[in-house]
Parts: sequence; C-alpha cells; structure tokens
Amino acid sequence: VFPGVRQAQWLTKTKLVEGLPPAVQGIMDNPALELQELEERAKHMVSHARLWDTAEAAPRRERYCPVLFENLIHICRLMSGKYPSLSKRMLARNCRVAAMWERESILLQVRGLSGILMNSMSPIPPVSSKEEILATKEHVLETFYPIAPTIDLQEVNVYKELNDTGFRDGYPYSYPHTLFFLESANVRTDRFRPEQLRAKMLMFAFGNALAKAKALHGNDPKVLEQPVVVQSIGTDGQLFQFMVFQLNTTDLVSNDGVKNLVWVDSDQNLYERAQCVPEVKKGVVTKPAGISGFQPDTFKKFLALYLHGTV
Amino acid sequence: AMAALGLCRAFGALLLSAGPRRARPPALPPSPQHWLPGPVSAPAACRGLGGSAPRCTTDPLWKCRTKYTVRPVGMKKTGGRDHTGRLRVRGIGGGHKRRYRMIDFQRLRYEEGAPPEPFTEKVISVRYDPCRSADIALVAGGNRKRWIIATENMQPGNSITNSPHISRMAVSASEGDAYPLGALPVGTLICNLESHPGKGAQYIRAAGTCGMLLRKVNGTAIVQLPSKRHMQVLETCVATVGRVSNVDHNKRVIGKAGRNRWLGKRPHTGLWHRKGGWAGRKIKPLPPMKSYVNLPRVKAVE
Repeated sequence: VFPGVRQAQWLTKTKLVEGLPPAVQGIMDNPALELQELEERAKHMVSHARLWDTAEAAPRRERYCPVLFENLIHICRLMSGKYPSLSKRMLARNCRVAAMWERESILLQVRGLSGILMNSMSPIPPVSSKEEILATKEHVLETFYPIAPTIDLQEVNVYKELNDTGFRDGYPYSYPHTLFFLESANVRTDRFRPEQLRAKMLMFAFGNALAKAKALHGNDPKVLEQPVVVQSIGTDGQLFQFMVFQLNTTDLVSNDGVKNLVWVDSDQNLYERAQCVPEVKKGVVTKPAGISGFQPDTFKKFLALYLHGTV
Repeated sequence: AMAALGLCRAFGALLLSAGPRRARPPALPPSPQHWLPGPVSAPAACRGLGGSAPRCTTDPLWKCRTKYTVRPVGMKKTGGRDHTGRLRVRGIGGGHKRRYRMIDFQRLRYEEGAPPEPFTEKVISVRYDPCRSADIALVAGGNRKRWIIATENMQPGNSITNSPHISRMAVSASEGDAYPLGALPVGTLICNLESHPGKGAQYIRAAGTCGMLLRKVNGTAIVQLPSKRHMQVLETCVATVGRVSNVDHNKRVIGKAGRNRWLGKRPHTGLWHRKGGWAGRKIKPLPPMKSYVNLPRVKAVE
C-alpha cells in the first residue's frame, strides 16, 4: 500500500533517522581494526558462498544466503582474539518472541519466530544522548488519513496477553544484541521487498526490545531511564539493510511524548554481481567470472554493528 | 450475507461458467437425464458413459468465494457453455488466461463496525483489468482495501468521498466521488448507477461511458443512459460522478484477427446470409422511460 516502514513507525511510535548512529560510525573509522586484510577475507567468503559451494553450476539463494551469513559471522568472531568480551555472545535460531502493547486503544502484538538472534551478556549502551531523546517529543508522527494505520494487519483473537523474550530468567546471555533476517526464498515473490524487509526488521527489533524492557522494568508504561538498544541486519544475499533501534519509552498509548528512535541504513550492496560462468557475447567475454563490484563499506558496517557494545 | 449478495450480483455480469469435469465429489444430485429429440450433439461433458444426453455438470466451480479479497482470483473459462454443458453463446472461446479481481460495486459499503456516515478513501493505484473494458482502481480507507471502477481522471493519491446524505443544497461533487442522485446537481455526468438503493452498480460501467442526470422529480431522479434511454430511479440510489476510465477504448484498432482471438472471441460463421429486416440503420422513437420506482397507484375510485 505504502512503504511499510512508515506504517511500522506509527505502530511503534518511532522517529526515523537516516544513516547509522555516530557511535557505530566511530567504530568503522577506527584505524586500529585493520579492516584491509579483513576485506580480502570477506571477498573470499562471498566467492565461497556464491560460486564455489556447490556441485551444480550456481548455488541457489536458499543455499548461498545462509552460507554467506555464516561466513561473515565467522570473520567477525575471529576478532574476538583482540576483544575478549566478544566471546560473551551466543546465537539463537528460530527463537520465539512475543511482545504486546497498546497503541491508541488498539492492542497490537508481535509474535513469531524472529529469525536469528544474537544475545550478549551485557546490554548495548544507549546510542543517542539525552537531549536527542527529549527532542523527539516535538516530532509528530505522520498520519495516513483516510487509511487507518492498522491496515493489512491480521486480526487475531488473543486469549493471553503475552510478553516473552523467548528465554527464561537467569539465562546468562540475556540481552538481545542483534537480529539477523535472511530472505532466502528462491522465488522472488516469496521474498520480502527491501522496504517490507525493513518494516519487518523494525517490528521485530521493537518486539524484542519491548519484551526485554518489560522483563527488566515491569509492565507499566513509562519512559525508560536506560534505553534498550537492539540492532538488526536484514539481507537477501546481496542487499543489506542495517538498523539500530533504541527503545526510549514503553508509553505507547498516546501519540505525544518521548518517541523511540531508529537509525536505518538501507540498500547497501555487498557486491554488484557474482558470475559463475563468464558471459560471452559474440566470442567476446563481456562479464568475466567472479565477484565484481565488491563494496568493503558494507562489510565494515556489518562488522561495526557486530562489535558495537564491546569496543 | 450482504457481501455474498453483492458478489453474486457482480458475477452476474460474467458468463455462467461450467467446468465439464466430474472429478468433484458427488455432493450435487445428478439431474434427470434429458432425452432430446432431433439430432443429438456430442456435448462437451460426455465421457463415454453410454447415453448421449448431457448430465448436469457441476455449477460454476470457480465462483465459490464468499469473503472479499483484493488478491486476484483464478477463474475458469466457459467457452460459452452454460451449466448443462451445452453451448449457449456462440463465438466465445480461447483467449489469454485471466484472473478475476473482485470489484466492489457498492460504493457505500461500510466496514464492520463503522457508522453509516460519509467517509473518504484514498486511491492507491489504477490498473488495467483483463475482465472488463474499464480500468480499475485500488482504494483504501479505514482498515480495508477494495477495487472499484476507476473514473476518467483518477490518479494514485487522490481522495474520494462516499456519502449517503441528501441535503437541500446540491453538493458540488468532484470526479470519483459517490453520492446519492438526490444530492447531485442536475446535469452532472455520472456512472456506476444502481437501479435500487443498495443493490450495487449495474449500469454505466463500460469504458468511457457516462450518464446524465436530467431532472429530479419528487423523490425520484431521471437519468439518461448512454443508449439515450431514460431511466427513473429513487433519489437515494448512489452513483459515482464522472466518466468511466479508459475513454479511448472505442477508438482502438484491433489490427488483426489474432488480437480478437486473444480477447477470447471466436470467428463468426462465414456463411453468406441475405440481409433481412434486421440489417441497416433504424430510426425509431425513443422507447418509453424505464421506471424502477414503485409509485403508489393513485386511483380515484369512489
């Protein structure tokens, strides 16, 4: 109907900021990280996932998307030699998250398997300063008159209002750190479009953050002293969407007051094309085999988001 | 119930379809066998079961959806056959596959739980519909989306209003809005007209057509249809303002026989007929005005 991110913003009472937050930018620009040699590795990993992984001519998206993701996480984990606190992370797949909130007398909920979740023992520090948080008070959420913001949402009979992070209390890795979404369906119509993927990322990041906040501070709606930050990365194997979501308030009933913040960096290509077989037209090779147009920046952002919170 | 009724009337515009398959579970009772006099034609449904009369093939198989949905629904082609399986209309068959988009002809359909008040909707997109000559528009309002017949200058992003109220002053309606006939000024071009209030639009739906509101009498309104026939309806019947979209539809050139076949039209018979009284231009007086209003017959019977 219209870009899903706008609808998701209204539903979660969020203000959108383009680009990644300065803290993450700082990690990226930090020269101590030696990102040059990691670029080589990243290229190698992309080639492995897209070209070499299969006995047939070209691997299908169902195969190369998770393989690429695994490889990128592997490179990130190699950095834990330098930053020992990186080892205090764990990955969970197919974890079920449930969060429920009320928005202007309409009850909304997020439920479901939230992709791949990475948890850590310590929370991510708030990304924005107090002034920015208070400045969101003046921001006005856009309305979609005459369309109701709950359009295209499924109406479900709920018998239990559930807020669940997916983990029991006392689990050592209790803070949600990053969510990963892999769009790996083979058929293009089954995959989410980029803006739909961003909306899905926003909703699930919000759901995780809200569930964690309610677990920490109780169910009453209020402005959080210590904002909860959850990151999420979504990809379909080539395009990456990065998002940092900061939950400032659980008071979502009214439209005024402090809003939540989200920093979105969208449509980052990791590489332009990956040719398995060189394309030959009239005896001349137009597109040689291999990865072309590799963008190291995208991988740097991926790494920066991974390292965020420990560096 | 209302939705199903509206849908059935919408389907009335399409041909009755009959799938000559009998793989359906035998829930329907078979009709009595007809032994027809004269040459027995081999009907499409015959499966060599012995006997040469058509059994009752199953009802329109694809028209069994009661809930409204915006997604296009797959439809089955009939080839001009009716529910018995025999050919009823000549010249239909083949053509490109089509999916049916459920059009909502009742503009004043309120959502569940919504009060019967004027409401606005926003046009999201206007697209070609393979099942009709006009274009259709996806509009969204409140919590639902629906397809309606687009009017001439409808663009994505417009707002259209639907209102059931009739006031003493005529409303200055803009194109695409839907009002009862009593609320519109005399002389407006309208389309998607209903004959009875709440029935759903059945008139003036083809591409580029428009009717004109001629005069308003007591509680009824008189509309001139595109065939120049006059029609009298209650003034609470809702119509949309403007001409139907795709105005240049009658100016298109088919170009070749193949294009007609893509549209699902089979060739005419090539037999030469001498022209009878049916051919040629006729000049006739207008037929009398068609009235859909049951006026109480005032008879002075003493």
